Amino acid sequence: MANRSFQGNSATIRVQRFNPDVDEKAYFDEFSIHLEPGTTILDALREIKSEQDGSLTYRRSCRHAICGSCAMNINGKNMLACNQPLKDHLDRRGRITIRPLPYQPIIKDLVVDRSVFWEQYQRVKPWLIPPQDVPEKEFRMSPEEVEALKDAEKCIMCGACYASCQVIGLNRRYIGPHALLKAFQKILDPRDSVPGERLAEVAGDDGVFRCHTIFNCIDACPKELNPTQAIETLRKLAQKRQAFEAMRRERQKSLIVSTPTRTAEPSGD
Amino acid sequence: MYKSTGFVSFFLRRFTGLVLVLYLGVHMWVIGAATKGAETFNTRLELFESPVLKILEILLLAAVLYHGFDGIRLIIVHYFDVTDYRKSLFYAAFATSALLTIVGGIPLLLYALGMWS
Repeated sequence: MANRSFQGNSATIRVQRFNPDVDEKAYFDEFSIHLEPGTTILDALREIKSEQDGSLTYRRSCRHAICGSCAMNINGKNMLACNQPLKDHLDRRGRITIRPLPYQPIIKDLVVDRSVFWEQYQRVKPWLIPPQDVPEKEFRMSPEEVEALKDAEKCIMCGACYASCQVIGLNRRYIGPHALLKAFQKILDPRDSVPGERLAEVAGDDGVFRCHTIFNCIDACPKELNPTQAIETLRKLAQKRQAFEAMRRERQKSLIVSTPTRTAEPSGD
Repeated sequence: MYKSTGFVSFFLRRFTGLVLVLYLGVHMWVIGAATKGAETFNTRLELFESPVLKILEILLLAAVLYHGFDGIRLIIVHYFDVTDYRKSLFYAAFATSALLTIVGGIPLLLYALGMWS
């Protein structure tokens, strides 16, 4: 994606602005900044805010692609601002266009209201629900079982996928790729004891069957994760969720049997 | 609008689907005239002989072919992990539809221009 044709040393940053207290609708501001080697998009925003317009509002924190705060829409595509070299996103005239993440109400400038995003996340119960009998020592998983989770735990909940999904654009009730990827992670985790219930939730009206395999989520994800394939897997599992839950119970019995649990009070003084 | 091959496919699939439903209505109106006798049937069928409608028939062909091949693409997407070649698969479906539209459309066009009987 690097644009080799832009050779200058200053860049024009077009940023969408909107202050609900003052503005009726959003508009674009243009700023010019000096381009250094290694300047990221987030660096540019910081320079604008500290030296040109202190009212520019955006979310940021870690600046190294782990907190997920700085996801925004750059030249029409969602990505993190902190790990993208500014030079790679400038057109021939040295311009870049920065907008907030789509499909969510704007609070101010580049900050959007992510309440629905978080509610859908909570909806899939993104925590482990262990069985009644828990082994005394660690709950062991085979390398194959870890592999099956397909690195879903790398998700930083930045929202780039959610805001790139046209199904979200058309239907705000759709659970969303972010939450469905988390549901996938929990459903395939052998330590979780309620996969049947989880599958029933995601196979409902707003869940995995609303995905239209548009694939924007894969394009947008800064961690190169694959919510589409996770959703496809959940679709197959949802059709035989009782069998899957029975298999899970068997798997967990073997865990309890193979790892010693406390059966009697320790004796001795 | 978030631009991607996935979105183009999503939109065109729905658009061609709508076109096909509307066409089905018209088709049933024409063919249904078979129950009303030869004269009515022939009259209705002749309505579609005009050059303009023959050109529209090429667009109909495009819609049918696109919807069909993109449908096959979708079935492949549902049964296999196509992540690595998701865009190529779309281009292949689109190119096949376009090619067959041209192949099938040339006789229709020639007919419309009166160079084919």
